[in-house]
Amino acid sequence: MFNLIRRDVILQKRQLLIFIPTILSFIILDKHHPAFIFIIASIIIPFSTYAYDEKAETNILLNSLPYTRTEIIASRYLGAIVYMVLAIVVTSLALFAFNKPFAMTDIAIASGLFLLFAAFTFPLFYIIKPGYFFMAVLITFFLLAGIGPAIVLFLAEHLAAITNFITNLSVPTLYTGAALVVIGVYVISWGISTVIYHRKAF
Amino acid sequence: MENVVELKNVTKKFKDFSVENIDLQVKQGFVTGFIGANGAGKSTTIKMMMNLLKPDAGEVKLFGLDYKTHEKAIKERIGFVYDGNVFFEGLNLKDIKRIVAPAYKHWDDTLFFQYIEQFELPLNKAIKTFSKGMQMKASLAIALSHHAELIIMDEPTAGLDPIFRRELLALLQELMVDGNRTIFFSTHITTDLDRIADYIALMQSGELVLNKSIHDVAEDYALVKGGMDLLDRDTEKDFVHIHRASTGFEALTNNIKAVKNTFGDTVVIERASLEDIMYYLKGGIHHV
Repeated sequence: MFNLIRRDVILQKRQLLIFIPTILSFIILDKHHPAFIFIIASIIIPFSTYAYDEKAETNILLNSLPYTRTEIIASRYLGAIVYMVLAIVVTSLALFAFNKPFAMTDIAIASGLFLLFAAFTFPLFYIIKPGYFFMAVLITFFLLAGIGPAIVLFLAEHLAAITNFITNLSVPTLYTGAALVVIGVYVISWGISTVIYHRKAF
Repeated sequence: MENVVELKNVTKKFKDFSVENIDLQVKQGFVTGFIGANGAGKSTTIKMMMNLLKPDAGEVKLFGLDYKTHEKAIKERIGFVYDGNVFFEGLNLKDIKRIVAPAYKHWDDTLFFQYIEQFELPLNKAIKTFSKGMQMKASLAIALSHHAELIIMDEPTAGLDPIFRRELLALLQELMVDGNRTIFFSTHITTDLDRIADYIALMQSGELVLNKSIHDVAEDYALVKGGMDLLDRDTEKDFVHIHRASTGFEALTNNIKAVKNTFGDTVVIERASLEDIMYYLKGGIHHV
């Protein structure tokens, strides 16, 4: 299974050459919040692998090799975490080298948002017809970014009970709670993708 | 004799096509040729053997094991070659080997480089720059480098020039020297089979109509030619399918003895080639 995760690096040697300059340019521009840079850095590798996995041939190959379908999906979800951690380490080093300040909270928020985003988009990949995935991801992204805050504000105004409950939580509880929710959503998404992938025909 | 592949009553239905009640055995240590017209259901059957498709009903067993509990163990022992290129086309062979090799417990680097040399394949060129023949050779090199006991190939000779087709067949023959190895390959070029196949499986519109040794096929079937006046409702019963022309009839029989009894010397009985059998069986297995 480790081989399946390592596969992404072999496939994306060239993309890795773009990865570093992209991160550096974001840092040098200095217009973006560190959390945003962390998210962008995390997204690059796991999502560009999908450009390859979209092809029927890739699925035929992976499924003809001695891997089970459960393992193929597991490598996706574990791989996303592995590459996120690596991306965060590299970005932190770069930020550090350029003397840009950032806090642990930035990393926490970025990884939380990245995992949520991954959790919502990964199953889509196995449902949506090849070729339409990136459009779907873009639409999901803009929907979340466009309507998301409005929904949160609406909920905050109209459901005072929930707002009060959240504001009354201590900071550590809030963070632990958020982390648990993110992990929960990620695990559910993993399960859904596994079930969908098992039913697929190639 | 042991069966490496065993399909029992396998059925798979699609919207406009189905493969039904397939009972197929592939014998260990032999070459089985899988023939049938385009769209007869060969690829669907092969996909079910590889667990790329799950049958709606029936049982698929490889090496006596089922996919539900032994998927990895089964695939560890299979080498596969598909009609099209399934490898990442932007990568070179070296990188593809880096991805594929660790998947197998018994991957043999020495053997792999030996085949690369034998097939004269470049290691540092992207697969997409390869010709059809080179892509086939590359797939074959990968399929052969992990000591697979069963080699499954879907139309390996399609789109190859005649010279390379012969080379490929010769190579397959060489592989069979190792008595444990089994080769199962589909093709619609029946002359490929005359050369190397020991067993024949014939698919027709989603049904398996024949699964015999090539020797039995040659003995069981014959082509009969004679004048139209010889045909009537009784004599027609001896034929699988009859092709009528003003100059006379040509028919396929699977009962040579009966034909000899009925017609004696009035007809010409010839050996039926696989192509003849395919062509006439297409008219339907039922008597006309």
